[in-house]
Amino acid sequence: MPARPPKILVVDDEPQIRTLLRATLGRAGYAIAEAANAREALSAKSIDKPDLILLDLGLPDRDGLELITALRAEPRSALIVVSARDQTEQKVAALDLGADDYVTKPFDTEELLARVRASLRQRLASESERQVIEAGAVSIDLLSRIVRRDGVDVHVTPKEWDLLAELAKHPGRVLTHENLLRTVWGPAHLGQTEYLRVAIRALRQKLEAEPSQPRLIVNEPGVGYRLIAG
Amino acid sequence: MLQTDASITERIQAYAGAIAMVAVATLIGLWIAPRWGTAPVDMIYLPAVLAAAALWGLGPGLAAGLAAAVAYNFFFTEPLHTLQMYHVTDIVTVVILLIVALVTSQLAAGIRSQAQLAASHAARNATIAGFAGRLLSSSSETEIAETACAELHRLFGSNAMLVSGLPQPDLIAAMPVGNRLTPSDIAAAALTLESGEPAGRGTSRLQPAEWVFYPVRSGSAVIAAAGLARDDGVPPVAEEQIPLLDNLLDQLALALERARADSDRREVGSLRERDRLRSALLSSVGHDLRTPLTAIIGAAAELRRARANDPELLATIESEAGKLERYISNLLDMARIEAGAVKLKTECVDLVDAVAAALKDLRQGLASREVGVDLPADLPLVRADPQLLHHCLINLIDNAARYSGADGPIWIAANAVRGDVKLTIEDRGPGLPVDRERALDVFTRLEGSDRRGGAGLGLAIVKGFAEAMGASVTAGNRKDGQGAAFSLCFPKALVVSERVDAG
Repeated sequence: MPARPPKILVVDDEPQIRTLLRATLGRAGYAIAEAANAREALSAKSIDKPDLILLDLGLPDRDGLELITALRAEPRSALIVVSARDQTEQKVAALDLGADDYVTKPFDTEELLARVRASLRQRLASESERQVIEAGAVSIDLLSRIVRRDGVDVHVTPKEWDLLAELAKHPGRVLTHENLLRTVWGPAHLGQTEYLRVAIRALRQKLEAEPSQPRLIVNEPGVGYRLIAG
Repeated sequence: MLQTDASITERIQAYAGAIAMVAVATLIGLWIAPRWGTAPVDMIYLPAVLAAAALWGLGPGLAAGLAAAVAYNFFFTEPLHTLQMYHVTDIVTVVILLIVALVTSQLAAGIRSQAQLAASHAARNATIAGFAGRLLSSSSETEIAETACAELHRLFGSNAMLVSGLPQPDLIAAMPVGNRLTPSDIAAAALTLESGEPAGRGTSRLQPAEWVFYPVRSGSAVIAAAGLARDDGVPPVAEEQIPLLDNLLDQLALALERARADSDRREVGSLRERDRLRSALLSSVGHDLRTPLTAIIGAAAELRRARANDPELLATIESEAGKLERYISNLLDMARIEAGAVKLKTECVDLVDAVAAALKDLRQGLASREVGVDLPADLPLVRADPQLLHHCLINLIDNAARYSGADGPIWIAANAVRGDVKLTIEDRGPGLPVDRERALDVFTRLEGSDRRGGAGLGLAIVKGFAEAMGASVTAGNRKDGQGAAFSLCFPKALVVSERVDAG
């Protein structure tokens, strides 16, 4: 833990959820601030200057999606949205608006903590510090553009590299299908998820121990892909 | 005019034919007379007169009779080559020839007109049968109305439409499409629907209308009105065709009645199904919510009372709460299917992703269970709604785990067969009873197993979502008979067959 523990702002209108998060995150060593609605959230953002905000999208006074831009304003905070199951479109919209990640209610606390760590790491680390990303037996060197598996160089095509590098720049975070298509193939290929599927499959063949049961590059149905780092 | 010309030509030909027949008979007579005398000659004329009368009717028959009498008189009676007669027998012969012509032609004309009548009846019956047949092949009310209009348009060479509803009649179908009604036409249609009498142009009611409407009756009720109009303003249905039209409209009424009865029956069926579902849902909620809740409440109370950190009780709370959450998800999904509120958001999906995501969400429930996954590297991509597919897989795998015993293995495999892609989930449970389709029926739990909650609902959701995506589910047993196998089949149309070069 750094000298000052990272501060997390929990925005949720349900007191029992706030209680749960306070306990879980507190035990993990984070400092907690709480807000029960959009108004409180905005004032807590300017007063507490949290490092990360956990935002429930179902707030009583304002649509959570509207709040994302305001909460992402300077000073910059990482932002994870908490959404109900099956609201895939809402999750994608939140990610497009700048949320770093999402968790689905009811969430698994281990998974929540993993997301929080990934988002904070991304925010705290500067680009140069993350030159080499480790994911299982695979290491991805973003500067020298080299992929190794068990220490052996793996050949990837330029598009596969672009895709892998994009995932590796945001380890542990979900990147939406559209985001990846736009970055790697260009805006003309938006909606053509088949390109993404084929390239991901090729990467898995080269990097995964068991390509039909992927552990490194995992999919969130209807949302996007995540590189599981570490 | 053309028609009259044709019939005049036909008449002339008939008379000429009659005279020609008499001429032939005369020639034969002239050949016979020098050899055997004139006695058989009068008999020679009989067939000629009979034939002319039978073939061409009264006029030509009489003409043949007269011509035969004159020719007989001229060529064969004393004095020869005059029109005078000396013998009474000759006079009798001539008179008999005339009588034969008269009687035969009357008889033949009667037979002919009867044949014509029969032919026209047959044609009319064929028309009616054809019309009824075409109506029979249409199922919905609109389809029937459209077919009927097209047929009326064809048979009567006029524009046709079908309207129903009072006080403001609505157009059900029209041929050609896009016919407009003036207010007086609407009034005429309303009048027909109200009174059951024809109204509109050419009838005694509502002359200014452009269309003439005929009632379509079922029993005493008028269920629709058929409108006919010709672009040239000529009455669309001639007087003698009215019985045919009435007949056709009766057939139409029958067909419409049948369609209405069908749709009523379907509605009753679906209401009954929904009713059954609702009561099944209520009893299921009672059982499937209360059981885990009882376990959770009990375990929590025990933990508080004993102030113990009992890992078994904690695990119970966690797993039972997980069951509750999945059950509630299923209830919501079922409600969506029931309400017809399943919205498809189809994209290109890799089944490897779908299976991995489902296994990840179920990881707590599966715990140490062995799960085999066999998805070939060249398995084609499929078009599916990723979220619906996710719920299908979760339910299928959860179901397999439920029936596979405490640590029974689960096997997930996919392959492409003749262009289709089939994903199969096998368990090591007791297998399915013979009545396999029932396994996918709402709330049906598999025979020979106790109630372990939620399974029937889950499978019904799998079926509902799969069908919404255009895929299908089949339930069967493993080839070795040791467990059940559920397959999700994506037909060729949903399989991405073209090679994608992602670069």
